[in-house]
Amino acid sequence: MSSNTNSNWLDGNDGVYVAGIGLHPYQFPSDTPYTHLGLAAVRGALADAGLDWKQVQSAYVGTTSIGMAAGRVMFRHLGSTGLSVTQVENASASGSFAFRQACMEVAHGISDVVLAMGVDKHGDGRRAANKDGLERLSDTATIPAVKFALMARSYLRERGAGMESMAKVAVKNHANASRNPYAQFRKPRTLEQVLASPKVAGDLTVQQCCPRGEGAAATLLVSGRALKRLGLDPKRCVRVRASFANSERDETTYGQGPIDLVRSSAQAALEAAGIGATQLDLLELHDAFSVEELLYSEAVGVCAPGEGAAYLERGDSQIGGRCAINASGGLIGMGHPLGPTGIGQIAEITRQIRGEAEGRQHPNARWGMAHMIGLGSVAIAHVLSAAQA
Amino acid sequence: MTQDLTSMKPQRPSLYRLAADGRSLDFLFTQCPACHALSFPANAPGCMHCGHPTADAEQVARPGGGTLLEYVTLHVPLVPGMPAPSIAGDIRIAEQVVEEGVIAVDDESALQPGMTLRAVAVPLASGDSYGCAFVPAQEAAR
Ligand SMILES: [Zn+2]
Repeated sequence: MSSNTNSNWLDGNDGVYVAGIGLHPYQFPSDTPYTHLGLAAVRGALADAGLDWKQVQSAYVGTTSIGMAAGRVMFRHLGSTGLSVTQVENASASGSFAFRQACMEVAHGISDVVLAMGVDKHGDGRRAANKDGLERLSDTATIPAVKFALMARSYLRERGAGMESMAKVAVKNHANASRNPYAQFRKPRTLEQVLASPKVAGDLTVQQCCPRGEGAAATLLVSGRALKRLGLDPKRCVRVRASFANSERDETTYGQGPIDLVRSSAQAALEAAGIGATQLDLLELHDAFSVEELLYSEAVGVCAPGEGAAYLERGDSQIGGRCAINASGGLIGMGHPLGPTGIGQIAEITRQIRGEAEGRQHPNARWGMAHMIGLGSVAIAHVLSAAQA
Repeated sequence: MTQDLTSMKPQRPSLYRLAADGRSLDFLFTQCPACHALSFPANAPGCMHCGHPTADAEQVARPGGGTLLEYVTLHVPLVPGMPAPSIAGDIRIAEQVVEEGVIAVDDESALQPGMTLRAVAVPLASGDSYGCAFVPAQEAAR
């Protein structure tokens, strides 16, 4: 079933490693210029890796709402070194796709030290779907909250589950976020509070929806060759084992589109990494709305189909459980500033695998998956492991 | 209650027009020259099933309505100017064509998955045009 990992393109250039991570905390929209957010993350990642800006050969910047040429405007404050700069936009998955581009550049031997980062300000949410020249029967037809509220209703109906089963996702993730200094929300919430918060759409209350915000996250990727040449500590370097991306196919059954998309992308990534879903110690996923975590934990395969709510209920997805899902706090708790979100997932998995997630460390964390979807719908999965796993 | 809709314009003329009964709506589809399936809306640049170009395809009108698949109450205005609470649902308006629509019932107790809905014209505040809302088929037949 699993493919030979030696044929994995990520093994090129002696492998691709995350050597440094840095973040600016996610926060509510403010007057802080995006350059300040982004530079804090990049400087953090450089210091973490013990690398100098002059050593970075190429940079990918995931962002949705800042505007053209965000990278160069920011990077000149670090010194004009002449590096390659590329901006990546793919909705919620912008940072994840910036990371994938950086992986490709390193694995193909084009560069040995590459920055993948995300930075964003809260924007006006302009969407291509509103410019396709087509009218729609409902004004809310392209609004994710409505789509996921409809999916939540079907999920609860089919499983005969109560609203509290998905509200518990928010309780867990707010608790994780309260222990993450980079999270937008830092307060634990009780089930009663989550359920009593104002309703938005269907059974989703406001505390089950990710907030608007801004922030930045950065990762420095190095080749296995550079890791040795630069004398970096392999124990603090986390290896990228798989990267897979795809987009939605026609739905065969109503409501299955996003679930099939998550399943197919996650399983392709697991196969490339040569592991099964139940070997994952960590899973960061797109919980923009609480029900998504239940649906996607089943789709990724960390639990059996139909078992998402039971898996959460048993404590299997909490830090210290079988697979810590959204140990960072997820989109609901850590926040979802769009551009940085996917990079923040990679940073969390790196921190956890290093054993440096003080206050929220998942024990014996060796394998992690970062999974993201974006409007439209696009999906992307990365599998990471300890350098020696 | 009886308003003459025939003198009003459709708010979204690419999607629907008033049916012969002067109250319900016909939806406008395009029929694919290659696979013969219906796509919505009619001015989509490609068949939503097989991708064949639809520029020269035939536009067909069918009675607006379909099967209700799922529905929720929207508790807050998610777009400027929308009334809240309101009810939105996914409706299968043709084979393998599912669209979100506004459902004009007082509350969710009037609805259940699988029921048949009809699209009716709803006069807009402007007074010179009508929009689209779905109602249970029995009610439409009343
Ligand atoms: Zn066709």
